[in-house]
Amino acid sequence: MKRTSFGLALLILIGGGGAASAQTMSYAEAISQIATVCKNDIARFCKGVPLGPRLRACFDANAARMSPQCQQTTGVVYASITRRATAQRDIGEVCSADILRLCGTSFADANLVTCMAGLAPQAMSPRCYQTFVDTGWATEKARP
Amino acid sequence: MKLHHTLAIGALFCAAVVTAALAQQSINSSQMATSLANVSGNNRLSMTGAQMRQAVLDNIRDNPGALPPRPMSFPQLEGLTQFVVEVDFDFGSAVIRPSSYRTVGAIADALHHPLLLGYGFLVIGHTDSVGSRQSNVGLSQRRAEAIREALVEPFGVNPAVLDAVGMGEEQLRDPAHPTSGVNRRVQLVNVGKKFCFGHSGEQFVCQ
Repeated sequence: MKRTSFGLALLILIGGGGAASAQTMSYAEAISQIATVCKNDIARFCKGVPLGPRLRACFDANAARMSPQCQQTTGVVYASITRRATAQRDIGEVCSADILRLCGTSFADANLVTCMAGLAPQAMSPRCYQTFVDTGWATEKARP
Repeated sequence: MKLHHTLAIGALFCAAVVTAALAQQSINSSQMATSLANVSGNNRLSMTGAQMRQAVLDNIRDNPGALPPRPMSFPQLEGLTQFVVEVDFDFGSAVIRPSSYRTVGAIADALHHPLLLGYGFLVIGHTDSVGSRQSNVGLSQRRAEAIREALVEPFGVNPAVLDAVGMGEEQLRDPAHPTSGVNRRVQLVNVGKKFCFGHSGEQFVCQ
């Protein structure tokens, strides 16, 4: 059995079955939580470390010394970022059968996202639906 | 002492001018994506990032002096959609300050927006005129690359759609005030559709 991801575990906890499943944060929201909560920890332990893989490595290396708030925030934030980025990368593959069946379009344009956002969650396979939720695109399209 | 490299933010549509300045906190990734997606026809950049980097160095060699005699022009960029943002860096360094993490995240949100799937982008860094022209090209190149690096990891932007160019002070926004903060900026340019997608979600280079 494949390792259950954080997202799937949450989905199961919440009950799934068409209920709104846990959302990922926007990248702006996610990373600004780190900037806010970890401001002092960055200044103490990661000063001059560039945003990107090296900052994350610095957080990992200094986890034991960081404030509990920052430690917790980095965990939640990087999990959310990874889940969203993975969903955005993989949705074409995960949803290819659903897309062809329900939207009749080639993958990855704005029309397709509009089509998917208009579908009932039950119409899609659970894995496709969860991936679509994780991309953040459903809520993105709801904005003006 | 640390200097904040702050400057106005505006959306540039094609070569035309700018909307009102926005506060940094209010950068809206949907707006950014919509601006960048406002592509007319099949406009594509007709030069590579490498050619642009070379043109910047050639400009310093061919037009020597303390200041560039005039802002470099890139007719190839006309007709392409752009968005200009402010990113704060540590003084003289390519380290993005935490105050600008949100901005970089917002750029990542915009580049992942469904409207922009498959498009390629140039990240162009600009400095003011403080320091030598040569060193400013290097600094802005490292800064543009720092933004590119963060967009790729952790934010998952496909590195194949991003190129970084350091323009130094060769294209001052306000040549009459070459040390002014408005010259320090990061320009995002939509260079056209790079990847198309097949029915099974597979990506291929657009013909």
